[in-house]
Formats: sequence, structure tokens, C-alpha cells
Amino acid sequence: MLIASTLDDALAAVAAGARPIAGGSDLVVGARHGKAPLPASLVAIDRIAELQTVTETADGGLVLGAGVSHHVIETHPVITGHFSGLADASALVGSPSTRHVGTIGGNVMNGSPAMDTGAPLVVLGATVELRSTTGTRTVSIGDLWTGPGRTAAAPDELCVAVHLPAPPPRSGSAYVRLEYRRAMEIAVVGAAAAVTLDADGDVASISVALSAVAPTILAVSGLTGLAGRSVADVAAAAAEAAAEQARPISDLRASDRYRRHTVGVMARRAVEAAARRAAGETIAVPVNRALGIGAVAATPGAPS
Amino acid sequence: MTVTEPRPTNDAPRPRFVRADGPDKVTGTGRYTADLTLTGVLAAKFRYADHTHARITRLDVSAARSMPGVLAVLTADDVPDVRYGPFVQDRTLFARDVVRFEGEIVAAVAATTAEIAQRAVDAIVVEYEPLPVVTDLEAALAADSPLVHEGWESYGSADPIVRDRNDASFSSITKGDPDAAMAAADLVVTSRYVADASHAAPIEPRAVLAQWEGDKVTIWTSTQVPYDARAGVCETLELPANRVRIIVPHLGGGFGGKCGFHYEAHVAALARAARRPVRLVFSRREEFLAPDRRREGMVIDITTGLRRDGTIVARTGWIAIDNGAYTADSGFFPQLAAMHVAGPYRIPNVRVEAHLVYTNHQPSGSVRAPTAPQACWALESHTDELARAVGMDPVAIRKLNAVDTGAEGPSGQTYDEIGLQQCIDAATAAAGYGGELPDDEAIGVAIGWWPSFSAPSGAYVRIDGDGSGQIITGAQECGTGAVMTLRQLAADELGMQPEDFQLIYQDTSVAPYDMGATGSQTLFNNGRAVVAAAGQVAEQLKQLAAEQLEASPADIVLADGQAHVAGTPSRSVPITELAGIAAGGELLIGHGSGQPPGAPPLVGSSCVGDVGMAAFIAPQFSCHAVRVKLDRDTGVARVLEVSTAHDSGTILNPVGAHGQVEGGVLMGIGQALTEGTRYDDDGRQRNAAMLEYKLQTCADAPTIRTTFIEIPTPDAGPRGAKGLAEAPNVATAAAISNAIAAIVGRPVRQLPMTAERVWETIADAAEAAAQDGVAS
Ligand SMILES: Cc1cc2nc3c(=O)[nH]c(=O)nc-3n(C[C@H](O)[C@H](O)[C@H](O)COP(=O)(O)OP(=O)(O)OC[C@H]3O[C@@H](n4cnc5c(N)ncnc54)[C@H](O)[C@@H]3O)c2cc1C
Repeated sequence: MLIASTLDDALAAVAAGARPIAGGSDLVVGARHGKAPLPASLVAIDRIAELQTVTETADGGLVLGAGVSHHVIETHPVITGHFSGLADASALVGSPSTRHVGTIGGNVMNGSPAMDTGAPLVVLGATVELRSTTGTRTVSIGDLWTGPGRTAAAPDELCVAVHLPAPPPRSGSAYVRLEYRRAMEIAVVGAAAAVTLDADGDVASISVALSAVAPTILAVSGLTGLAGRSVADVAAAAAEAAAEQARPISDLRASDRYRRHTVGVMARRAVEAAARRAAGETIAVPVNRALGIGAVAATPGAPS
Repeated sequence: MTVTEPRPTNDAPRPRFVRADGPDKVTGTGRYTADLTLTGVLAAKFRYADHTHARITRLDVSAARSMPGVLAVLTADDVPDVRYGPFVQDRTLFARDVVRFEGEIVAAVAATTAEIAQRAVDAIVVEYEPLPVVTDLEAALAADSPLVHEGWESYGSADPIVRDRNDASFSSITKGDPDAAMAAADLVVTSRYVADASHAAPIEPRAVLAQWEGDKVTIWTSTQVPYDARAGVCETLELPANRVRIIVPHLGGGFGGKCGFHYEAHVAALARAARRPVRLVFSRREEFLAPDRRREGMVIDITTGLRRDGTIVARTGWIAIDNGAYTADSGFFPQLAAMHVAGPYRIPNVRVEAHLVYTNHQPSGSVRAPTAPQACWALESHTDELARAVGMDPVAIRKLNAVDTGAEGPSGQTYDEIGLQQCIDAATAAAGYGGELPDDEAIGVAIGWWPSFSAPSGAYVRIDGDGSGQIITGAQECGTGAVMTLRQLAADELGMQPEDFQLIYQDTSVAPYDMGATGSQTLFNNGRAVVAAAGQVAEQLKQLAAEQLEASPADIVLADGQAHVAGTPSRSVPITELAGIAAGGELLIGHGSGQPPGAPPLVGSSCVGDVGMAAFIAPQFSCHAVRVKLDRDTGVARVLEVSTAHDSGTILNPVGAHGQVEGGVLMGIGQALTEGTRYDDDGRQRNAAMLEYKLQTCADAPTIRTTFIEIPTPDAGPRGAKGLAEAPNVATAAAISNAIAAIVGRPVRQLPMTAERVWETIADAAEAAAQDGVAS
């Protein structure tokens, strides 16, 4: 295994056929569980400084290096403040140790339909910067995933950064997931929402994306017509659309019937929390804990 | 023996207690079995069955044997033809002709590396003729069911065991005339509850390392019961006990999962065949699939007849317990389950019948309070149904019917001073039971009981010339701190400090017999042995001191490291000085065992298949009151607070005791909500991994409050102590069930009460309510 200290070294290694390994919390754990044997040739990218920066752009957007850990995301004041849905997701990943080793690049490139950062990245309009020795291209996050565990990236391309556009004024985002325990959990279902409010406090724009109910993260369609309606109406409509559009499977974690029902519940709660944040309320990250969704703490005003 | 000195109350700061094994474990210097190695050590791997029920038509190990690096390949043909088992002798080390569950061992390999061993395992050719798979408990008891053991009649079994075809052990408790009493009752309530199997899931997957020297073998193994392991090796490999030495390095937890005899003989046989030391280290998956130690699934029917005032007049019960493919220590489960379905209640008319049913699942075996959490969950959920039926408060109906000092229990045992009623009061008070709660919260209450296990046990205590002490004990530490507490007992007996003693333990060739870390019995029985052994040394010291101080030995007091004359502390001699004198003459060596407490009498009841579990020696009682918050939209239940009260007699080590209750509660929450083995139609486990078998984590732990109702108990352990480690695991799931039922309006009838099952129950309740609305 090569340990790359610069991005160029890493790009050269993947061009020569090496598989990148960041935190290894998907790759190594998966290999141990017999998912797929560890590739013969590996390049470690966890020590490349330029992949670990969080940069605010002049217009209020954000560039996250692919090697930024979930721990950095869940504690970064700009992310918890303006891109809260993403921070909600990172704060739910595994355990403290998983969050310290696991990276956003690894989460996104692993492409699991149950991944937590995927749905918030979709509703926040993220793009992914892919680079190889021959050049750089930008892919919208929704186009990145082509199936469970599959991405549009070529084998010689590294994900170097995730770009987040500046959120509009009076907007907020949130991610909630159904979980059976409070650590070391994988989403049974999850939902992210980004809401922008108009001057009357009604919904100006809404987007919702779902985890663990389709082969890839699912962006809920048909919500544009909801502009101008109240938060409660939009939350209810989004819940219904989520449950309807979900294509869940039955597995050990849940039946398809239960997933379809609960993803609607999660979508409603995500919309409600995002709208409250859009209205200026501070709801601590992660929403799951702050609002007692599948969690102990009961805060007054929690969505039912 | 009782004491009258004041003990700390539960709110008082707990006295400092430094575990002798603590620094090793906390700093990582402690060595566990898998950490050990020996020169030339080989790696062992097993070939498991490819079917859950099939006849082996061909078994060819020649390709595996001829692989470079492979030093031994063993099958049933290579070991003595011995059927073993503590209650029913129904199994062999390696499958003979038929495999009966997925974790059954067909062959074993020892090779220079684990990779080579695995390749050799894969190269073993086995062909099968599939047989009908038995997984359903009720169907298995039908007269026309396929048999899991065609030859069941030819098997040997322990005397009291009653067997019939797929019923490996039948037991019943009968008292009074339940049919007549039921017919005369004002109300009769019938319930069915079904519990899934679950796992002990200790943090350390098991490991075994064996080395022969001449005709003697030393086996390092992660077992909770070293003497059982030794007995198993001796029986299956036909060796006398003094040629087998079992050593247990630090044990990484057990929860019962490492009770019984497992793979020590396989590894010893491999090491003998290979003429090299051999080590087996299980993967997490193997730890889930192979050992005969899962917590048994159960089907429980309970019918109770009541008077309008809530008095229980009769109870009948029918229980089917999933034995799995072989009978491990589960032979006593039916009677124990029957006791838990009868429950700690004053019921004059009782008939409970329990069957231990063979299936093609992994065998069941003692996991922390075997059968009790499931049976208590069923019974106590049923008890809340009784309360609803008569319109009574659930706590009031328990207070009315629960046993108390001087009362007669369901099997005809009359209790000495016990603290169940006090437990109910203390736990419900601590929980604030009866207060206002949000409408998505409720407090559920359940009571439980558990016997103390009386067994022979031995220890030596010696004090060397420098005054330092050694406790050489057969007791096994599985993490509870029970062995660690022995230092306190010896120190108190000798007027010394716990830190003055080293513990020499977990070595069958060094220490006398003990039953092991099983049945919450370590302090109960080995405490007696250590006190007796230390008492002998105390007598020796008093004799020596009497000579030094020119007093009578009867007047010598041992305290604070000194021997002094009673009433005159200044007339003293240090114990270290006495030790020095003894080192030049008669050495300070004590040995202890003591008489195990006998079983209390039963009056007016009769038991079929009586293995001695209907009379509870030094019975322990508990009450758990659990506040639960339910997310009605998803069925996710969260345990917010658990208030427990336990009567386990005198508490010898408060730090350890609180730890046991807290751990038991957390394990109970897991059983209640998230754990549970899932099987496919062929009886294979589908969630044999930590990701999909959901244990509770620290992040899930609620606030846990514990009150000990300390009643020094005669005919029990040292100073009136009862057992403790299993009792806290009994009532938690039941209390959670009652909280959920209080919110939902009806109980969830399957354990674990997963979010999805709760959600389905809510939907069913809503549907029933809607239909009621239509009907009325
Ligand atoms: C105990 C545990 C709990 C977990 N809980 C959660 C959870 O709650 N939610 C969740 O979403 N995930 C969870 N995970 C999965 C995992 O931790 C996350 O997906 C994490 O973000 C992966 O990041 P990594 O750096 O460890 O990825 P790695 O394992 O290093 O890589 C994952 C994949 O991405 C590729 N890759 C990595 N970086 C790049 C890059 N820059 N460019 C191109 N390809 C790349 C690798 O080749 C590999 O295929 C959990 C894992 C564990 C072990």
C-alpha cells in the first residue's frame, strides 16, 4: 500500500490502478465481512493536507475537501449553522471513532443507498469535483450515483472536493433518520429537506431527498407546485410524496411496508425542522437528538 | 450467618473497591486466550455442516490431508465414539452420519497458518442427503413430526429427565385443583406470548489453545466453567482428570455464553494428532453460529382465573422451549420456565407444563437467567392484562398477589423473610409511579425472581513468611467482580486488607473444584469456601498470637493487621510477625469448602421431570419500574429511566452489585427492543453479525436507579448474601412491555418488541378501535 502525501502522488497511483482508501471504514470493514476482498493495490489518501480543508467561498458557498471527516463536519460552526442538514447527517454516523476516521469523500464514493450525507447533499444542491491525471470535471451529486455501490467516476478519478452553493436567505435544512439505537446504527430510512421561506413564513421553495428506500439516494419529485403553501401543508404533502415515490426493499432492518410508512414520517419531520431553522430557530445538531426522534431527549415542540 | 453492623445505604457514597484485575484490563496489559502463543503453534479451523438437517453420504478429507502445511485433519472417525451431554447424551464432538444444525462440526483442521487451514477446510468433500428441517415448536411436538434425533430412545440421560421423541425434557408443576378453581373463577384471562431466541454476545469471541507434554495436556481457554471444560475433555477423549489442565487467562465476558464444554476437546485432539500446539480463535460470526449457548426462543400460553377483587385463584400454563439440535445444559429449563410462568405469586391452584423441544436450530444453553426474562416478560405482560380485566392498578394487583414473608409460593414453598413487597414499594417510589406523564410516556412495572444455586466449592488461603496472602480458588471471574470480592472476605476474616492478597485462580490443576462463573453462584458458594479457609488461618494466627501475648486464643482479635487481646488493643503483635514465626514452623495454610445450603421443602405440589428447580434456595426478588417514551408514528420505544429494587440478601460489594444491576438492565433493554435472532426457513441465522444483531450501546443507556433491600438470609451465602448477577436481567423486558402496552392500549406479543412490531400493534389497536366504533 502506498501512503500518498500529495494529491499528485495519489492521482498517479490511481492512474496506475490503485484503489483509494481514506478512513477505510467502509473498505476495510466491508472486506472483513466478506463483501469484497481488499484490492491488491491501495493508495492511502488520508494524509493529504489539501484534501482536508474546509473553505468558504466569497459568495457564501463551501468547498469541503474529500478527506474532511464527519467529526469536522458535525462540529464546524459554518456547517452546523448554514448547512445544518449535512451536519445532522455526519453527527449520526457510527460512533465517535467512526466519525473521526470516516470521510465525506468515502461516504459519497462508497455510494451506499443507506449513506447519511447523501440526502442532505442532494437537497443542498452539492456538486462533486472529480480529478484524474488528465483533468478535472464537476458532477452534480444526483448524477454521481448510478446504483448501489456504483458511481459515475472512472476508476482513475479521485473525488477531491464536495462543493456546496450558498444557501438562499431565509432557508434551512435538516436530516432525520429512523434508527433503532443511538450509536453504531445504519439508517433504516432517512430524509433530508431544504426549505426557503417567503416573507409571510410560507414555503418559497422545498426539496426533499430520501435514504435507504431506493437503489440510490432518491430526490422526491413534484414538490415545486407547493410554493406559497404553509409549512404544515408542505410537510404533509412532502410526507405523502416521499411514501409514494419510495421504492423500498424488505430486509433484516425493516419490511418494505414499514419503510414506506416511516420514510413519510421522516420526510415530514425533516421539512418541519428545516422550516424552523429557516425561520431562524436554532435546533442543535443532530435534529434526531435535539427533537427526540428515535432518541431520548424530549424537547417541547418536537414534531409528532 | 448474619451480621448486625450498619451497612451503607444505597444513596451513601459507595466504598472504594479496587478490582485486582482492573489495572490489567484498563491498561491493556491483561492477556486473553487469543493473545497467547506458543512456539510452533498451529491454527485450527472447523468445517461446519452445509445443511441444517441432512445425512452425510460422503466425507472425504484426503485432499485436505495432503495439502502442504496441514498437520492434522480430524473427523468423527479419529476420536473416541462418545455421546455426551449433561442432561441428555445426544451429541458427539464431530457429526456422525447426520448433521442437525448449521454450526455442527463435521471436521477440524490444524495447519501452519489460518489461511492454509481455511483452504484445507474448503477442500474437504462432504455430500449430503437432506432431511426434513424442524423449526416450528408446536409442529415439532406433533405425533407425526419428523424427528431431529431418530435414535433418541437409545440415548442416555440424567435420572429425572422425562423425554419423548422431539421433547427432550418435559416438566410440570401441579398444585391444588386448577380446573375446578378456574371453573369457579369470576374472570379467566388467557394470553399467548412468543419470544425469539437471542444471544449472550460477549465482547471476546472464544479462543482455545492446547499443548501436550507427554500424556498430559494443558488447555488455555475462554470458558466460564473450567471444571466443566475439563470434565468434557476427560469424557470425550477418555482421559483421567489429572492429565487435563485447564487454564483460563482473563476472560472477555461470558453472560452464560461461555458456560458448558465446547471446543477444548477438538483443539486438544488436533494438538495430539499434529504433535504441535494448536490454537483456535473464533470469528464473530462463528461466535454467533456455533456454540450451544443461545438464549432459547419460547412459546408461552398462560391462563389465570381471578376473583373480581383481583385475587388470583388459579393459573395454568403451557410452554414450549426451543432446545435446538442438542441438549446442552438446557435440561433444567422446562422446570425453571414453569416456575417463572407460575411466578412469585400466592396461587393456590397451579398447573404449568413445559416442553424442551428439539429443532434444527443452534442449541440453547444458559444465558444469564435462562428462560427467565422471556417467561417473566410473558407472565408480567399477562399480569397487566389481568389488571386491565378487573380494572385494577397494575401495582396494586401485584401487591395483592405477590409472595411475602411466611407466604406460600406457587410450588408449595413457604418463604422465610423476603423483601419482594418492599422491592415493589421501593422501585415504584423511585420511579415516581402514579405521577403525571406526557401522553407518549408511561411507566411499566414488573416483578421477578430467581433462585440462588447451591454447589460444592473449594479454596485455599495461605499467608507466607512476609505476611502477604494468597487465595487459591477454583472460582472463575467472568467480569462480574465476584472473584475480586473474595479478597475482601478473606481480609475481613483475618483483620488484613484486600490488597494484602493475591488471587490465584482459573487453573484446574492448582485450585480445588468450583462450578464456575454460572448460576450467580461464585460469591454464594466460593465465598463460603474462602471464609472457611481464611477461618482456619485465623485460628492458626490466634494460636500463635496467644503464645506471644500470653493470652487464651479465644481472646485474640484479628484487626488492622494486628492480633490483639480482646479489650486491650495495646497488647498486640503484627500479623506479619506471626507469619514470620509460622514460616519457621507450622505453615499458615487453610482449606475451605463448607456444606452447601440444602433445598427448602415443598408442600402440596407435585412435579414431573423434577430437577430440583421448583424449590428456590435463598430466592432473590426484584421489581423494575421503567419509564418509556414511544414514538407512535414509528413504533420506536425509548427507555428513559429504570428504577430497580432487588432483594439479593446482604450486599457484599456495593460497587460490583450496582454494576451488575446496571448491566443486567441494559441487557434487558436489548432483549426487549432490539436483539433477537432471525432465522430463515431452514433454521439458519440471518443476523449473525454485530451490525444486524443490535445490542444496546452506551449511548442508549438510560438513567438507572437501584435500591437494595438487604435482608441477611439464613442458609445462604456469606453474611446472608444471595446470588445477584442474573436477577437484574429478569424483569426489565417485562416492565418495558407494560409501559408500551400502557401507551398503545395492548401488549406487543412478540419479543423483541421491535419498532416495527410495536408499529403493527398500534395499527391493530387502531383498527380494533375503529371496528368497536362501528359496532357500537
Ligand atoms: C461502525 C460503523 C458505523 C458506520 N455508520 C455509518 C452511518 O451511520 N452512516 C453512514 O453513512 N455510514 C456509516 N458507516 C460507513 C462509513 O463510515 C462512512 O461511509 C464513511 O464516510 C466512509 O468514509 P471512509 O473515509 O472511511 O471511506 P473508505 O472506506 O476509505 O472508502 C470508501 C469507498 O470510497 C472510496 N473512496 C474513498 N475516498 C475516495 C476519494 N477521495 N475519491 C474516490 N474514491 C474514494 C474507496 O475506494 C472505497 O471504495 C459506518 C461504518 C462503520 C464501520
